[in-house]
Amino acid sequence: MPENERYIELEANRFRDHCIALYNSGRYYPRLMFAADLRQSNDCFRIYMVFSEKEKDIFHIPFFDLKENAPVYKSLTPDIPAVHWYEREIRDMFGLIPEGHPDLRRLVFHDSFPSDSYPLRKDWTISRTDLNEWGEGLIKKEAYKFMEVEGEGVHEIPVGPVHAGIIEPGHFRFSTVGETIFFLEPRLFYTHKGIEKHFEGMSFFDGVRLAERVSGTSSFSHSAAYCMAVERMADIEISEKAAAVRTMLLELERLYNHIGDIGNMCAGTGVAIGNTYGAVIKEDLLQFNKRLTGSRYLRGINIIGGVTSDVFLKADDILNTIDAVTVEYKKFMKMLLGTISHIERLENTGKLSKDIALRLGVTGVAARASGINDDIRKAHPHFLYDDLDFEPHTSGKCDVYARMMVRAEEVECSISIINALLENSYNGDLSSSVKTIPAGSSALGYTETPRGSVFYWVMSDSKGMPHRVKLRSPSFCNWPAVPFAVHGEIVPDFPLCNKSFNLSYSGSDM
Amino acid sequence: MLKKILKNIFTGNRTLDVKEDNVSPVQLKKKMDPVFGRSLRIRQVDAGSCNACEWECTALTNPVYDIQRYGIDLVASPRHADLLLVTGPVSRQMELALRQTLDATPEPKIVVACGDCAIDGGIYKGSYAVNKGVDSVIPVDLVIPGCPPEPGRIMEALVQMMEDIRQGRS
Repeated sequence: MPENERYIELEANRFRDHCIALYNSGRYYPRLMFAADLRQSNDCFRIYMVFSEKEKDIFHIPFFDLKENAPVYKSLTPDIPAVHWYEREIRDMFGLIPEGHPDLRRLVFHDSFPSDSYPLRKDWTISRTDLNEWGEGLIKKEAYKFMEVEGEGVHEIPVGPVHAGIIEPGHFRFSTVGETIFFLEPRLFYTHKGIEKHFEGMSFFDGVRLAERVSGTSSFSHSAAYCMAVERMADIEISEKAAAVRTMLLELERLYNHIGDIGNMCAGTGVAIGNTYGAVIKEDLLQFNKRLTGSRYLRGINIIGGVTSDVFLKADDILNTIDAVTVEYKKFMKMLLGTISHIERLENTGKLSKDIALRLGVTGVAARASGINDDIRKAHPHFLYDDLDFEPHTSGKCDVYARMMVRAEEVECSISIINALLENSYNGDLSSSVKTIPAGSSALGYTETPRGSVFYWVMSDSKGMPHRVKLRSPSFCNWPAVPFAVHGEIVPDFPLCNKSFNLSYSGSDM
Repeated sequence: MLKKILKNIFTGNRTLDVKEDNVSPVQLKKKMDPVFGRSLRIRQVDAGSCNACEWECTALTNPVYDIQRYGIDLVASPRHADLLLVTGPVSRQMELALRQTLDATPEPKIVVACGDCAIDGGIYKGSYAVNKGVDSVIPVDLVIPGCPPEPGRIMEALVQMMEDIRQGRS
């Protein structure tokens, strides 16, 4: 078991008190909550909660067991709002009921999915008829009731799931008063692909390809976190060279995403030249990714035990491209910061207060732009991050502008990290050969994606095959914060606010 | 009429052998003009993809590929579209929306399945929550393989499609 994971078994009631005490002390960030079906081995379901201690590289993981005949526990949500989606997700996937949860509507499954059907239970089956009816979507088996805002002059605008832009599907219901958004309710999970269950049907080795395809633009971060989880579980040490390649590619992924995101925000303010400028630099970086790894989205590099290719052999190309991109990027930012019509739209728009961000467990750029100094690269150093000299970038302004500037500072930080990595040489084989995975063990893996922290928790069964793969993407944490950021804004600013978070639907829907 | 021609041309799923070279503008215009009258309108529909395909479709409109210079554009509504460019394995929760989008599209409503998972479910094949590609939900005229297919590849496939329509070739 990895050194920085401290598991604590507790009684159901003690579990709740323990978690609330950790949370209220203010010294711990709640990271994720998940369940596993252990009825075959332990005759129970098990619910875990992962906290990370501030300033220390330690995960506190309290857990408790729940019998199948009494699948009810007291909800933590009233005390720890950050777990509200996790508890609903566990209810949908395992049928374990959080008593006292303020919102017990289904989260993952839409109206036509059968009631009392829980896919992550090991003995779950579903009939062909149910599957077809689910897809047809005509019979409402468990109706979802949207929250309604009543009163004079309240107008409802339903949007999606098929949007006007080339983006992922999701449904948004705005309740507006005049042009002002009074309330926004997102209804997501249109792209739910049953990925966690799908992991259980393949070997840990094949799972890498699936992890790469959870969220397209975070392919490398996801697969790196997944590989790290499996490697920690199997007690495999990756070489310095493999760690260096992973660190380099994580930063390259951050670079193309952040620059692309800053450019996309210009689409929200109608600054066409900013939008295209950002797109051109991003395209440069994607073509560079292809030269470096054979894939524009950095796929096919991570494997359990290391990496498949030594990008440091192309150090010249890295250096030249990054230099050229730096020059362009500086011109790009100078232009944006000098465009008053752009900056004016960003400032004081889409504010997400630090208090709400903390309570909802927001992560990544969104958290740091609201003054939360949290970056997994620093909080839980992995790969070569411990040897690198950098600080998380935060801003106290909490608005769209802050989210752009945090990205801008992180772009510069990534460029210096890439340059620093090129100054050294690294030893070891690209990958160590791994044939088997130990039975009945588990571990966490994590990285900082361009959007925020991603976590994988893997558990092997008695044959060394996946028993449970829990994945928690940053978008799952951040989606609930978007309605708070757009409250009181005007409808035309919604795309801008949304782009400033740039959340993945596929990553959140899984 | 066009739909009829397409049906004759593409019997079942047909994988194009596309090179990744960029497209010659003159060549493309020559091929497109007689078929679509200088204007092909595409509605992109994400039916549960991982989002990499969407970014490649977005890249088609960046200044590097600039697909608009050929008269091809990605539009905001299926009502304005000649062609649906569908990505993703078609998650069950997107099935209804995809059917309704097709219903809202005027003739010839050409359907292109873009990306490996749109072809047969790809990596997600076998999961309870997805279909086996676009073809298992709505009829498909053309497929573009790749995970994700690169922008140049998508352009090449569209060019090849027009060439085939023009020549009435199967």
